[in-house]
Parts: sequence; C-alpha cells; structure tokens
Amino acid sequence: MTNFFLQALTEVGTPSVLGLIIIGVLFGIIGGSIPGFTVTMAILVVFPFTFAMDPVSGVSLMVGVFVGGYSGGIVSGVMLGIPGTPSSITTVYDGYPMAQKGEPGRALGIGVAASFLGTLISVAVLVFFGPLIASFSMNFRPWEITALIVFALTLVAGLSNGALLKGLLAAALGLLITTVGYDRNSNLRFDFGLPALGSGFEILPVMIGIFAFSQLLGNIEKIKDEGNNVKNVDTNVAIPYGLIIKDMAGQKLNTLRSSLIGSLVGALPGTGGTVANFLSYDQAKKFSRHPETFGTGIPSGIVASEASNSAVAGGAFVPTLALGIPGDLPMAIMMGVLILHGVTPGPMMFEQNPVLVGAIYASLLIGAVVMVLCNLLLVRWFAKISLIPQQILVPIVLMLCAIGAYALNNNLFDIWVLLIFGILGYLLWKAEVPLTPLILGVVLGENLERQLFRALELNDSWLTFLTRPLSALFLALAVASILFSLYQDRKIRRLKHAAQQESV
Amino acid sequence: MLTLTKDRALALALLLIVAVMWIASGDIRPPTAWQPYGSALFPRILLVVIGLLSLLVLVRSLLTKVPEQAGLGTRINEWFQSRRTILAIFLLFGLYAALLPLVGYIAATMGFLIASFALLMGIDTRRKWVINLTISCTLAIVIFVIFRYGLNVWLP
Repeated sequence: MTNFFLQALTEVGTPSVLGLIIIGVLFGIIGGSIPGFTVTMAILVVFPFTFAMDPVSGVSLMVGVFVGGYSGGIVSGVMLGIPGTPSSITTVYDGYPMAQKGEPGRALGIGVAASFLGTLISVAVLVFFGPLIASFSMNFRPWEITALIVFALTLVAGLSNGALLKGLLAAALGLLITTVGYDRNSNLRFDFGLPALGSGFEILPVMIGIFAFSQLLGNIEKIKDEGNNVKNVDTNVAIPYGLIIKDMAGQKLNTLRSSLIGSLVGALPGTGGTVANFLSYDQAKKFSRHPETFGTGIPSGIVASEASNSAVAGGAFVPTLALGIPGDLPMAIMMGVLILHGVTPGPMMFEQNPVLVGAIYASLLIGAVVMVLCNLLLVRWFAKISLIPQQILVPIVLMLCAIGAYALNNNLFDIWVLLIFGILGYLLWKAEVPLTPLILGVVLGENLERQLFRALELNDSWLTFLTRPLSALFLALAVASILFSLYQDRKIRRLKHAAQQESV
Repeated sequence: MLTLTKDRALALALLLIVAVMWIASGDIRPPTAWQPYGSALFPRILLVVIGLLSLLVLVRSLLTKVPEQAGLGTRINEWFQSRRTILAIFLLFGLYAALLPLVGYIAATMGFLIASFALLMGIDTRRKWVINLTISCTLAIVIFVIFRYGLNVWLP
C-alpha cells in the first residue's frame, strides 16, 4: 500500500499534474458556483480535454473538478442565496442568512473549512474501505456480479423521486441502448441497415446527450418562465480567519458526523450529494441543543451541509473503484473516463493499476488543499463568475459537448449521436422519466450482458442465480428495494391526494 | 375521446419502439450449437421488461382522471409554440453538426455560437452584438488552439 501510494504521489507531484489539479479544482469551483450548471456538467465539459493525456494526468484533472465542484456550491449559496448545485441546498439555509447579517466571509470560510475536512475524512474512508470491499468482491463470480448490477439498477430506479415505474423503464432503456451493434459473439444487432450503427453507440456521447441537453435546455426554459433575476451582489469579501478557526473548533463532532454521513451516502448507489446534505443537516439539527437556531445563520448548519456534500467525493469512489459500479451521475461519467483511458474500474483495478488508484487518493488530498486555497484567495472572482447568465453558458457548453463527442474517435457520427440522444433525453425529461437510471443502464449494460452470459455458459440453469447465497442475497435486495419504493410511491400518492382534498 | 397525456404518449411511443425492435431482433443470428443462448436473448428480455412497464404506465394513466383539454392538434401546436427557442437550439445544433465537415471547425463554431447567442440573448442593442461577436470569435479560436496545439487533437 505504502509503496504504490508513494509511487502515485511522485507521479501526481510533478508540476504538470499539479497544474492540472489546480485547473480542475478552479473549473470545478466555477462549475459548482454557477446556479444550474452542476458538478456533472463541469465534469462533462472537462473530460474531452483528457483524451490526449496519460491516465494519471487525465484522472487527476477529473478528480480536481470533482473536489472543486462539490465545494463550489457554497459561493452562490452564500452570496446569492441560490444553491450552485443541488448538493448545496442546505448550505443556503444558514450560509445566506449569515451573509445577510454582514458576515459573508465568515460563512464562506466555515463552508470551505468544512468542505476541506469532509474531503479528507472521505479519503480516509475510501483508503480503508476501498481495498477491503475490492478484496471481498474478488470472490464474486459472474452470477454475483450480474445480481449486484441488477440490485444497483433497481436501487437507483427506486430512488428516482418517487417514480419507480419510470425509473425501472429508464434503466431498461439504458441497457437496451447498449445492445445496438456487434455483440461479444460478433453478431450484428439493431443496425437497421446503417453501417455507422455496426459499432454501436459510444457511451460518452450518449451520456452527454441525455444529460447535457435536458439540463441546459431545462435551464433555458426556467429563465423563460421565471425571468433572469440577476442580483446585485457585493463581492467584496474579507475572510475572518481567527473567527473561523474558533468556529470550527466548536464543530468537531458535527464535522466528523457529517463527513461520515456524506461518505456513506456517497458510497450508496443512487443517492449522492443532494441526499447527503439533507440527511446530514437533519441529523445536525436533531443532535443540537438548540435546533430552533438552524436556518438563522449558524455555523453548525453550514458545517453539516458542506462537510457532508464534500465527503460524497471520496465515498462515491468506493463502489466505483471496488465494484466497478458507479453510484451516481458524476461517478458514471468518471467511470466512462477511466474506461476511455483503458482502465476498467472494479476489484482487479487495485491489483492491476495500484498506481492509478493511489493517484486518485493523492489527487483527492491535493485537490482538497488546492480547493481551500482557491476558495479563500479567489472567492470574489468566483462570486462574479457565478453571475454569468445561462444565455451565454448554454451555447458554449453545447459547443464543448460537440467537440468532446467528436474528439473521442475523430468521428462526426458521434456528434449526431449526441444530438439524437439529446432530443431523446429532453423528451424523456419532459415526460418526467428520471435520467440517472438511464445513464447508469448505459454504463453498466455491456458488463451486465457479458456477466449474465458468462454465468449461463458456465451453467445454463437460471436457478443458479438463486442457489448461490450472495447472488440470491443481491437479487432479494433488488426485490426488496422495489417493494420499498412501491410502498413509498403509495405513501407519496396518498399524501398528495390528502393534500388535494384538503385544499378543495 | 381519450386525452393524450404525457404518460400515455410515453407509453405508446415506447410500445411502438418495442414492437419495431422485437421485429428487428428476428434478424439477429440464431445461437450456434455450443451456445446455450443466442445474441437475441438479452435484448429480448429487455424488450419484454420495457413492454410490460410501458403497459403498466399506460394502464395507470388510463385509471387516472384527466380534466377536459383542448383537441390534440391544438395542444401539439401549443407545445411547439411554447418551446420555439428549444426547438431552434436543436435545429442550430443539427446545422452545426452538418456544417462542421463542410466549412471546418472555426467557421462552423463561430456560426453556431453567434446564432445561438443571438437567439438566447437577443440582438436589440449594440452591446449585445459586441458581447456576442467577441465571445464567439475568441472562444472558437481559443478552443481550436488548445485542442490542435495543446492536446494534439485534430478538429475538422
């Protein structure tokens, strides 16, 4: 462990890679601080720039974006009262009131410090649990991997805003997309006479198309509906370092609890920063002696939110690296980037690419330090940049998406794939179909089919999936997650119905 | 007459896709003697799942009461009218993809950015024109230089 980590540290410590981490963190903070832009979009925009890089440089840049992105939401949350990303919604609850009381520097400083500590704790969780889960999952055979992927997909589908049916539909559609083109036995499927479809769809243009178009065009629709409320913000912020150290000294337990919640939630499929910051804020409130003060601009609220959403970064890497199963959208894209660089995430990665795993650890740690420095020194600029209107951002991001899709294989067909899946993603989003299970289906589809058929080639009985204990356990958990979601769906519908009747 | 709601439209569209793909799955080569299952099995399992789930969405939407709405033609027209900007963006992106191999990256990108900014920001003031042209031209060239000379990626 020490050996490969030191080797990774040497590789990440070169000026060029350090420069890339700084650029990544800066871009991540900018992406996270622009309302409606999100961490995922920041990752999507940066990934084409990694094509020509070696794996360590590419992954370090992406990790930098990841760390910066999760902390970036605090800038717009505190300064504008608008969460830059959904994972910083609860930061606004206390950050904005504190800024309104004339202490924006204090709010930002507390948030940045909490983000830093949250990232560090989550890296510790990743370093400890990643190899542990990976070595355990080395025993998984095709039956277990198939069942685990099915479980991950049902879990993500079930957690899709109370829309279980559509979530499952989306996951199945995502899997279906991966069946186009030549399969593992060189049999052609669903090419409809078009030679371009023979090689199937590249994962990345499909993911970008589905996610980016719906997100960006959704932002445009929102502006049309709500108008462009650009606020006049005083970006002259002074950071009271002494006061922040004092504030943080009184938040040790809250920081640790919130970071652990963030790491744990990050490691669960289908959850991510949004769930983490709500859960952590709620827990901090419950544990507080003065829960009534939450929402009035207190340090505890900011710490709970920022420590937890930043801790998601490390936690989310656990299932991606150890099992090869990404839990959320940013991780699905990160997995796509790793695959692009010839690295297959999964338990074997710890044995075959230990230096790259170490580089991820090191980049997370260095990224956390860079994030603190950038946030504290450049906060005024980030606040200004967060005011860039969507009307300017949307065309630029779409253009970068097109170039990213093209540069993947120097293939113009991939830009058309981007557009077609962009239209599909937009229409599905309009039909209230959750897109996360769809994208996860696209990422996991090929592996699911490969593992399923490997299992059936070893033993052609489908019953083997139920006779092997771990495989049966994962399938039982998949069924349980569907049943639980059904129960929740019904509860939500009952509550809605009751609310409707009350209003009548 | 039944009203076409979002869920009904979704379910019907997916059922149509399932039918088309099921027929197309008949063209997939059957399994050889040593293969327990053929290449058509996995997509067919998925098509059955999607078909069943779409039917469930359809049935559930039919069981939900929908208030009286205007005719289908009027509603489709309204839908397109209220999303003219979105449709224009898709159209511009399609044009961009078509023009890239013909006029090259720099000209196509400048054209796409100028047209998109004009559409989203408007062109009613001189300032907007200046912002539009400055960002479009600078960005197209900067991105080209980064990819071509910094990252060694050839753009069309």
